[in-house]
Amino acid sequence: MAQVVYGVWDGVVHDYRQGKAAEGATPPDLKDFEVFDDNNPIRAFVADRGFFVFDEKVNLLDTFWQYLSKAADESCGKCTPCRMGTVLVRDALGAMRRGLDGDLDLDGIAAMSEQMRATSLCGLGQSCGTALVKAIEAFRDEFEAELARKQPARAQHAMSYMTAPCIEACPSKVNVPRYIDYIRDGKPEHSLGVILQKYPMAATCSRVCVRFCEAACRRKMVDEAVGIKILKRYVAEYQTGPHPLVFSKDMIAHVLPEDQRVAVIGAGPAGVSCAYHLLMRGYHVDIFEAQGEAGGMAAIGIPSYRLPKDVLLNEMNAITNLGGRFFFNQRLGTDFSVDDLMKRGYKSVFLALGCQEGTKMGCDNEDTSLVGYESGIGFLLKVHDHVAGIKPHPIDGEVVVVGGGNVAMDCVRSAVRMGAKKVHLVYRRTEADMPADREEVVAAHDEGIEFHVLTNPVSIVSEDGKVVGVKLTKMEQTEVDAKGRRNVRPIPGSEYVMPCSVVIAAIGQQVDTGSVKPEDGVEMSKWNWVVADKESLATSRPGVFAGGDCYLGPSTLIAAMANGLKAARNIDDYLRLGSTRFFPRSRIRQILEKNKLFSNDCIEVPVKNEYRVHHPELSPEVRKTMFGEVEQIISSEDAYKESMRCMRCYRIYSVITEHSIPEGAA
Amino acid sequence: MCNVETLIPVGTEATVGFKINGKAVTAYPNETILAAARRHDFYIPTLCELADIDHTPGTCRVCLVEIQMPGQASTHMVTACNTPVKDGLAVETRTKKVRDMQKLQVELLMADHLQDCATCIRHGACELQDVAQFVGLKENRFFTPARVATREVDRSSPAMVRDMTKCIRCQRCVTVCRNYQEVDALVVTGTGLDTAIGLRHGKNQKDSTCVTCGQCVLVCPTGALAEKDETDRVLDYIYDPEITTVLQFAPAIRVGFGEEFGMAPGTNVEGQIIAASRKLGVDIVLDTNFGADVVIMEEGTELLHRLGERKRPTITSCCPAWINFAEVHYPELLPLLSSTRSPQAVVGAIAKSYLPVKMGLDPKKIRVISIMPCTAKKDEIVRPQLGEDDMPNVDVVLTTREFARLLKREGLDLRTIEPSTFDNPYMSEYSGAGVIFGTTGGVMEAALRTVYKVVNGKELDKIELTQLRGFEGVRSATVDLGGNIGEVKIAMAHGLGETRALMEAIKAGEADFDFIEIMACPGGCVDGGGTLRSKKQYLPYALKRRETMFGIDRAAKVRQSHNNEQVKALYRDFLGSPNSEKAHHLLHTFYTDRKAELELTVKEIWGEIKMSTMVY
Repeated sequence: MAQVVYGVWDGVVHDYRQGKAAEGATPPDLKDFEVFDDNNPIRAFVADRGFFVFDEKVNLLDTFWQYLSKAADESCGKCTPCRMGTVLVRDALGAMRRGLDGDLDLDGIAAMSEQMRATSLCGLGQSCGTALVKAIEAFRDEFEAELARKQPARAQHAMSYMTAPCIEACPSKVNVPRYIDYIRDGKPEHSLGVILQKYPMAATCSRVCVRFCEAACRRKMVDEAVGIKILKRYVAEYQTGPHPLVFSKDMIAHVLPEDQRVAVIGAGPAGVSCAYHLLMRGYHVDIFEAQGEAGGMAAIGIPSYRLPKDVLLNEMNAITNLGGRFFFNQRLGTDFSVDDLMKRGYKSVFLALGCQEGTKMGCDNEDTSLVGYESGIGFLLKVHDHVAGIKPHPIDGEVVVVGGGNVAMDCVRSAVRMGAKKVHLVYRRTEADMPADREEVVAAHDEGIEFHVLTNPVSIVSEDGKVVGVKLTKMEQTEVDAKGRRNVRPIPGSEYVMPCSVVIAAIGQQVDTGSVKPEDGVEMSKWNWVVADKESLATSRPGVFAGGDCYLGPSTLIAAMANGLKAARNIDDYLRLGSTRFFPRSRIRQILEKNKLFSNDCIEVPVKNEYRVHHPELSPEVRKTMFGEVEQIISSEDAYKESMRCMRCYRIYSVITEHSIPEGAA
Repeated sequence: MCNVETLIPVGTEATVGFKINGKAVTAYPNETILAAARRHDFYIPTLCELADIDHTPGTCRVCLVEIQMPGQASTHMVTACNTPVKDGLAVETRTKKVRDMQKLQVELLMADHLQDCATCIRHGACELQDVAQFVGLKENRFFTPARVATREVDRSSPAMVRDMTKCIRCQRCVTVCRNYQEVDALVVTGTGLDTAIGLRHGKNQKDSTCVTCGQCVLVCPTGALAEKDETDRVLDYIYDPEITTVLQFAPAIRVGFGEEFGMAPGTNVEGQIIAASRKLGVDIVLDTNFGADVVIMEEGTELLHRLGERKRPTITSCCPAWINFAEVHYPELLPLLSSTRSPQAVVGAIAKSYLPVKMGLDPKKIRVISIMPCTAKKDEIVRPQLGEDDMPNVDVVLTTREFARLLKREGLDLRTIEPSTFDNPYMSEYSGAGVIFGTTGGVMEAALRTVYKVVNGKELDKIELTQLRGFEGVRSATVDLGGNIGEVKIAMAHGLGETRALMEAIKAGEADFDFIEIMACPGGCVDGGGTLRSKKQYLPYALKRRETMFGIDRAAKVRQSHNNEQVKALYRDFLGSPNSEKAHHLLHTFYTDRKAELELTVKEIWGEIKMSTMVY
């Protein structure tokens, strides 16, 4: 275990040097703090809440200079104390670490740091002086001893990382406060630029993202979370509109030789994001897609009232504009194999197959060939074809949808639009347990969906090969178990039949059987998902990587796109270096996560309540009859107003290490 | 426009009890400490905040107070401008900690602020200097000239200078441009020490979507935003013996100038301006009001033509910021604009054509100097279509502020000058209609007085159209012009935010009007972007200036443009009739589509993004 020598954390002084043991303090239990990367011990750590020194020889002046350098670089410059204070403190420490006199002495540095802490506008300025103020207060002797030497300090190896709760919560690590700031600044196109650094599907994400960021938003402590997705939707308009931001091949800094080819299988969010980042790195990328169009689950699994098809199509243009090629109606396992691709000269393959086969409910008479039996995904495919005008699929009679996730919500809301007389949602647990987005559940209620919770199918009732009903049983909750969870069990004798013409099983998905074959040499899990390494996304076959739903199981758009970027980095490493590399930012996130270092401090002073703006929406009566988009874009006036609500909870973390930290995949 | 009181929701009561410096006071729910302190007469220094435009960005961090929450032992420093009051809160405004931190804050502001105060256009009237004095700043330990040396000074515009070496990043200009004028031309650029105010899409002022209305200049607390100073050029003309200088001053100048010399706001100083201009050495002093009367003759005739051709609406064209706005933001509506030149251009054009005939002058040696309450007028005079034979109609425009500066440079004090009267027999008489051009609704009223006479052959019975004299952002009315015209639907908008809404309605086919008056500045020219600046207030004297203007009209011997004897002589002796070929050549103009679009590519934007991990 890493031994703290001295430091201050949350105002508590730790000093475990000979004869100096601070009273009452117990050494913190820091996990995974010994080394940063292989054989590279962590010597010191500085954060918003304090700092720890693990090696008595650490030079504090240099350590805090490293930390404040990051703060000065990242200061947004809006408020006076942070804009000027970070620079003055950095420069004073910078002179001192070189054995010179700074413009501020130690007292001046402490006063300036306190000014930043006490009077800055946002989280960055408020937090970047805390550790330094405490350090000078508690360990002034150390600083003075270093100053007395009047000699340049030995160079220390360091790495600094700035983040915020919303950034950490996002699988793609989108710099949320930054893009909100650009809206405030009046530059929505720059805001979009921040998002496009991570993935090309900003407009899609702004419509269907599950918003981990908003769940982590600290504005909730004041009133409500910032409407991050609403703002993303606002800036994503600059991807379409009369003067869209366009991608072109001249953006690619260094085009690689013709033989540097990568095949991406699946044109869904994971595949498209991976292709995008590989193209930016100069590779020649071909995308093979089983369907007749790009977008994957975003195209076929998300109904058009949530995501208009032209929005998606427009985003796919980014890939073709960058030189990527799509090959449609090309199904792995039917039209080609992984071996074929390797033989055709692709140096690496990215599997982004998705999870498109519905999982069966496991009830009696679940015959998938029955007319009126559908999997959630199968049904949404038909909805897609219906809306796209490829194949009409009218519904009459009543529809029963089984499940409580977003796919189930998409199914019920689509069924009502396609003319179902009545739509029932059956879910085995309570409504509060539903994994679907709350907004989706509320919208389904608004649109007249009948909810049957604590209810589960027992068997499907059929006549002449047609579904005519579902036999259901009532469920009850069990007592809380040892893990604090309540399960459900059927109530004996509560069975009843609900007549219907369509039953949709929207309970889970798996990779299409027959797409990945044993001879492909890619290991599959017991749920029929692709097995890959968590860090590198490498599969059991060298050169083959995987990501998105086929690796994660049914997951979110944003997680799939995050996988796409990660895979692109690792494929790039693999092709250039023969192996994947250490990624310092991921490592520092890991340390923060394992030790729960991310402060979730409360907001101690009054903040003016400003409640969030909402999307203009069509009324439920109008919208349940149509597949046009329900949520409308907000005005620029509202966007400015909403952007002002962000509190910019940035924090900086620095590590000082024994050796230099390898520069990982950028 | 609005003050602290008006921001309090109607009907709420001051139910929040708390203490300021030990004294028990009450506040309204969600009211800020600053607003409550002001109501209870506790002074807290502020810099970025401007209550009149509801602007509390909390960026300068000067309005610090020390608060103690009920039941807590510790205190916190907060900014009074955006921290709401709470029951039982104890606020201290003058503790040593507060004073020290306020002082350090101002010292930090000074650390990257150009210290050349003596040369600054805002010298002596600067809010930053005031705050520095309040906090007792006595030293300036951190200023380094190199920090400001690379900052942008944008002199591309003929109207305005944007000097980022003096910007304190209060963002008042952004707010007035974004929320009030709704031009939204200003953006925040850069990060950290490079933070500045720039123009949208990285353009310079000249090529940007800015319409140079100058409202941003009125709210800037320092000298960062200012008109382009042309006082030296005026002195060069005046002291050039070869040159005949002709000075005109706009309707609004006479009612918005006395304050600078300690007179009551709204005082009519027309006589003093005439006398001061002569003392400066100007050869001929004319009145832009005369030009306004000519504009009514031309525009009124044009309106009747267009009404006859069922072309509607017709929109006025005297306001240069509105012309800029139309050309840059609504080029599709340009065919609706009257082709008549503005009063200042009309005076210039006639002074270089008619006056030489009458007075035996060489037009090439005439220089026309305009005193205008407007920054956009500086923009207007360089339009190539406003001049004849390479001679611009007007050679130089001074804003009200520069004129004040010029008088002070020449040692002239308005209070000690004996008022005088116009003496030019050709171009200085004006009607009451010409005067009210300077306030919202005035052009409309002046035009209706004349158009009514043309249509009916007799004067309006009730000459003051008080139903048009409201102050709402957009006003509309139906007026019966009688004769073969009958009822016309009219509208007046002032402020570009209101103008934008009206233009959107026209585009959507939802606005049913025959004649529309637009003034880009809220209130009209009396609150123009070239008027005197006020500290910590936005447009405080609008209504006083307006009242004086209506009073001048009421006292005028002649109240309709067509009854102005000098105007009659102009048409009789020189132009023929309104809209004659000669009038058309000299007094009308055309407009061009200057729509500015986003031209940045993803690559360029990525090149500019700071503080976010660069992937490429």
